[in-house]
Amino acid sequence: MRKFFGTSVVAISAAAMLALAGCGSGRDGDSDSGGEAAKGFAANSLIGVALPAKTSENWVLAGDLFSNGLKEAGFQADVQYAGASTTVADQQAQITAMTTKGAKVIVIGATDAAQLSTQVAAAHAAGAKVIAYDRLIKNTPDLDYYVAFDNFKVGQLQGQALLDGMKAKKPNGPYNIELFSGSPDDNNAGVFFDGAMSVLKPEIDKGTVVVASGQKEVKQTAIQGWKAEGAQARMDQLLTSTYGSKELDGVLSPNDTLARAILTSVKGAGKPTPVVTGQDSEVESVKSIVAGEQYMTINKDTRNLVKETINMVKALQAGDKPQVNDTKSYNNGSKVVDTYLLPPVAVTKANAAEAYASDPKLAPLTK
Amino acid sequence: MSRLKDLQKNLFGGTTSNARQFGMIFTLVAIVVLFQILTDGLTLRSDNLIALFQQNSYILILAIGMLMVIVAGHIDLSVGSVAAFAGILVAKSMTEWDLPWPAAIVFGLAIGAAIGAWQGFWVAYIGVPAFIVTLAGMLLFRGGNQFIGNAQSIPVPEGFREIGSGFLPEFGPNTGYNNATLLLGLAAALAVVWREIQARKTRRAMDADPAPMWISVLRMAIMVGVIAFAALRFASGRVGTSFPISGIILLVLVIAYSFYTRNTAGGRHIYAVGGNSRAAELSGVKLKRVNFFVMMNMSVLAALAGMIFVARSAASGPQDGNGWELDAIAAVFIGGAAVAGGIGTISGSIVGGLVMAVLNNGLQLMGVGTDRVQIIKGLVLLLAVAIDVYNKSQGRFSIIGSLMRPFRREDSAPPASPPDAEREPAKAAVSG
Repeated sequence: MRKFFGTSVVAISAAAMLALAGCGSGRDGDSDSGGEAAKGFAANSLIGVALPAKTSENWVLAGDLFSNGLKEAGFQADVQYAGASTTVADQQAQITAMTTKGAKVIVIGATDAAQLSTQVAAAHAAGAKVIAYDRLIKNTPDLDYYVAFDNFKVGQLQGQALLDGMKAKKPNGPYNIELFSGSPDDNNAGVFFDGAMSVLKPEIDKGTVVVASGQKEVKQTAIQGWKAEGAQARMDQLLTSTYGSKELDGVLSPNDTLARAILTSVKGAGKPTPVVTGQDSEVESVKSIVAGEQYMTINKDTRNLVKETINMVKALQAGDKPQVNDTKSYNNGSKVVDTYLLPPVAVTKANAAEAYASDPKLAPLTK
Repeated sequence: MSRLKDLQKNLFGGTTSNARQFGMIFTLVAIVVLFQILTDGLTLRSDNLIALFQQNSYILILAIGMLMVIVAGHIDLSVGSVAAFAGILVAKSMTEWDLPWPAAIVFGLAIGAAIGAWQGFWVAYIGVPAFIVTLAGMLLFRGGNQFIGNAQSIPVPEGFREIGSGFLPEFGPNTGYNNATLLLGLAAALAVVWREIQARKTRRAMDADPAPMWISVLRMAIMVGVIAFAALRFASGRVGTSFPISGIILLVLVIAYSFYTRNTAGGRHIYAVGGNSRAAELSGVKLKRVNFFVMMNMSVLAALAGMIFVARSAASGPQDGNGWELDAIAAVFIGGAAVAGGIGTISGSIVGGLVMAVLNNGLQLMGVGTDRVQIIKGLVLLLAVAIDVYNKSQGRFSIIGSLMRPFRREDSAPPASPPDAEREPAKAAVSG
């Protein structure tokens, strides 16, 4: 028994020493996070970009633009997409891996904007700057910047285009319109609607514009899940109930998918085409605008959004404060985030060729 | 050669199931070393190890329950949905009904128990196959999650987040390490030594051959070495980080369930039912009760896993739990469980889960996209089980083992193992 203990003690202490030696000394990374931020970082540093699953063309395009743009600017780019089924967990793991690899800036297009605060805090603590891309990350004081298109402005442009379009067709009112809004669980849907109403409300109050069905509340106008069939069904029902003898002059639609569904419904009922707004510059809608059916859409050029984000990264690298143009409106629940808002562009038949000139997919459609 | 046989037989147990586990541990170590080299030392850095445990603790907790379900000859496809359903209710209970967070955790476990009782009832007492019951449950509780949460994310309060993203506290003198983690490591090392001594005593008292002395010492040295290494790594993370709370919950569960499945009558009954349910029933095992218990237990663990994920994510969202059942099932099968039931161990499943976790983490550190990671994980799952099936039909224990045999010397150090992998040969897992 004594021999047993003797050899054990020797062997075990040897193993422990070995482990100790392999570990080096003490804790790391607690001293260098403070002063360095002001000075910027090396020009060939790693920049992480975590994007949602590859389910929409737009994200794939953004990923390619980030890879190429960051490389051109001299950075090492690590662009990752979340998997198709386990999106949130994947994105959490990817952000953590980027932090471990020592990324200096992490750009996040969140899959679920409320479920990343732990990872954002860890990245921040490790000295990385975090930029929320397109979707504001909620409930974290550790988010540094937010870059996105101005969604309130999108609504305003839609409202204005609706008024302009109706005036061009029929110089004098009153005009009969109907209102549609996006999915109630999408934060942006409310912002679009509020933006549009900020333009339409004064006209409605004056009586020059009439919502003939009387359905003006978001609860009544919302289309669950942005579903085309939902919009078509609601339009069918409005045409039957309200527009038996009245003429429908315009429809406020928050995006292109719903706009086309509304036009399908109107066509089916054999009514003249009203002025219909849209958003997103979808291929089918651009065709429809050129053909004179849908009146307008919004162009939110991903190229510009990515370019602006990379400009932010460059500014951070040089140790400057990135340019922001809104330090008041975007409260994520923990703090007001410094934001750079890009202006969206309203596109009608008149300016389509010009607006899509730099877009290889849409430009041929406008010729 | 006789020493080598001793080593093979005694180090991690001598039965095929344990030898298989030996192979898995070997694979795990190989993968860790591989990625350690490929990622330039990032894999074993403290912050990465800490993140690895935090990210995967909920899957490993699911794997514990799933192992018991699979050993009993069933399957549970509903764990992800149950986790999401419990998660959203717990989040709501805290934000909308102002339940304090400890009460909310109890509430969450109660939801899990209620769901488990529902599924266990159909499986055990009505006799609907678990595959169908849990497929229904998968739809039912996913729908329930969307219905209650209205497809929105609900944030949870700070205190609750600790179970998913918290760490052992900092206290005591400044040693350059996290003292709590060091103490935990010391306790684990002492436990290992004490267990080894007890095991030798038991075997001597039973007049059985104790393992040769040098094997015992070698085994202890490896275990203590691994524990010391891990403890120091976890203790040397950035100040404020250390061994994660979710890791502690996992460790406690692994130890408790390993003891239950290995050393208690109730636990052995699960193996008996999975091995041959008719024979087990005729031998006096209460078949229905065992089936009811494993299904119910799974849902309780699923609810716990869901809460840990919600705590780590700081919010409960509509995507929670998607695909978790597949990760848990993969961990169990990679860890050596038999598809037909009756064979498998908790520690094997944990090792299987860690193989997947390290693979995932290493590939992510190398910047491999999720599309390719999924392809690689799919192939690993298929290969691991294929090798197992092939070897069983050939009567050999491991291809890796047989490949390595000519190269092994008596003095070659065998691969290290995680703390829970040690077992007593006499009580090794075999079918009932």
